[in-house]
Amino acid sequence: MSPAAGLTSARPKVADPVTVAVIGTGAIGRDLVSKIDRSPALDCRLVAGRNPASAGLRYAESLGYATTADGIEALLTAPRPFDVVFDATSAASHRDHWPLLEPLGTLVIDLTPSKVGQMVAPTVTGVSPATGRNVNLISCGGQASVPVVHALAAHFPVSYFEVVSTVASDVAGRATRLNLDEYVATTANAVTTFSGVTDVKAILNISPAVPPATFRTAVHARMADADPVAVRAVAERAAEQVRSFAPGYEVVACTATGDLVTITLEVMAHSDVLPPYAGNLDIINSAAVMVAEQYATRPDRALRAGVAS
Amino acid sequence: MIHDPTLRDGQHAVRHRLGLAELRRYAEAADAARIPVVEVGHGNGLGASSLQVGQAAVGDEEMLATVREALRHSRMGVFMLPGWGTSDDLRRAMAHGVDVFRVGVHATEASLAERHLGVLRDAGAEAHCVLMMSHMAAPEELAEQAVRAVGYGAQAVGIMDSAGHFLPADVTARIGAIVEAVDAVPVIFHGHNNLGMAVANSVAAADAGALIIDGCARGFGAGAGNTQLEVLVPVLERSGYATGIDLYALLDAADLAERELMPAPPVTASMSIVSGLAGVFSGFKHRVVELSAAAGVDPRDVFFELGRRQAIAGQEDLIVDVVAELSSRRTDG
Repeated sequence: MSPAAGLTSARPKVADPVTVAVIGTGAIGRDLVSKIDRSPALDCRLVAGRNPASAGLRYAESLGYATTADGIEALLTAPRPFDVVFDATSAASHRDHWPLLEPLGTLVIDLTPSKVGQMVAPTVTGVSPATGRNVNLISCGGQASVPVVHALAAHFPVSYFEVVSTVASDVAGRATRLNLDEYVATTANAVTTFSGVTDVKAILNISPAVPPATFRTAVHARMADADPVAVRAVAERAAEQVRSFAPGYEVVACTATGDLVTITLEVMAHSDVLPPYAGNLDIINSAAVMVAEQYATRPDRALRAGVAS
Repeated sequence: MIHDPTLRDGQHAVRHRLGLAELRRYAEAADAARIPVVEVGHGNGLGASSLQVGQAAVGDEEMLATVREALRHSRMGVFMLPGWGTSDDLRRAMAHGVDVFRVGVHATEASLAERHLGVLRDAGAEAHCVLMMSHMAAPEELAEQAVRAVGYGAQAVGIMDSAGHFLPADVTARIGAIVEAVDAVPVIFHGHNNLGMAVANSVAAADAGALIIDGCARGFGAGAGNTQLEVLVPVLERSGYATGIDLYALLDAADLAERELMPAPPVTASMSIVSGLAGVFSGFKHRVVELSAAAGVDPRDVFFELGRRQAIAGQEDLIVDVVAELSSRRTDG
């Protein structure tokens, strides 16, 4: 199916839906397309991959969306820019994509740990960044940990944070595997940025256990006079907020030994296409879709599109 | 060829607390024995000092600088786990004159090493890839993963019996399959002694064609320890494999290790037998014992439950869950 065909056969859902394109057709891209499909505010006009045989492209076609195997070039040559482009490729590819997309005035929502754009964790930063047209969703471990480290640092004298995430092997695609360095750097940077704690560490495990382990993040915090009951209450309040967009987000354990507290978080996926254990993809994609939906209501977007608000 | 991770894997037995003076003295003794490669670092490798597995007494760079000075003949090795250490850690290690880099990945996840093996290959460094917890994968699967690792640039590839679960026939089948699949590069075997089989397994590996065998002085390592180096070397020599290592100097190094690196040499304690049978990484032992005692549950049950959940190295946070679950089951019952 050609991109042009998709552009002329729009599937309007509301009076003025945001037009979106997705680059990347791995596990993230596929789930993203399914979530966009469910959103009345978003109109998917193009799904771009590199491999014509990819299951992600076939899935997008099955939902009736325009697809292309020409990657970023297909977006650049589209007759009219998309309002929003989701980049679900890899950190290195995103660094190449951004200078090409920037002149188009598109809002770019980056799901790779590229560190290029402004970091968003919905319950902490809101979903409508004040500046810039490049929004970065940090990482799956960042989305899981930032709400809790932000809340803990506001209530307790934390001197060190460590966030250890475990992802099931079959939902860690090639880009994720090649991006472990970026994952570590970007996640640690987000923990510092949103907690103010400079001594931090991020670790990612990829587990091939059968049956697959549900996505989890252990947040270790060093603090004087740790009270596990008070810590858990703060973590639970943060989790409650996260559940407004990622309903499978839970505090599953909270323990304290001396000045060391460990809070274990799990995320179950609520998705049309993901297995329940793939909460890593569900939480980052849910956040990304919220950013795009919020954008649909923004006056600057309406002005750019020439529509009175 | 012998590879000696005493100053890296041994760290698991002392919660990564070896100091610079101890590192220096053992490295000098190993060098005097002409041990070909002396590996050093945090137990989980470069960049792994953490609350999750234990914080090291000294930083990676200090450890490397100290051991580099002590080695005149032996080559210096390091270990790293992608997702724990990063390419920046590798580059810093290169600047400290590391000769041999080992990238460790879970048995079925060679693709996690693609990036870092590529970084090492492009820098012209000697890079090995080791498949950990190898009892969790069949011989054919390990062979396939080994071929992929070589494709990414590994100049040696092999397996770790991280849980000390293998019997010699298991090793023969796995090393045999890997040797047949990757004829161009040497194959590595790294044993643990939970079931008392480490030396026998290492001989089986050599007989099956492994060219690089790991051993630690006095077996210094997590739980029941690693293959005991000063036993391994003369046994390999008697089996017809030349090691180039000086026996008396090796025995001296082992005596020094016992005196200076460890409170006591590893023994095959009951808990280590259980972790070997359960197929759980020996490094979990301290936390399992500690958390089980605090919660009043049987640590043996915790190990078997971790084995049932197929916990892999690095997933120490699962121990808390398992202990809590067994504890609540007991209360409910």
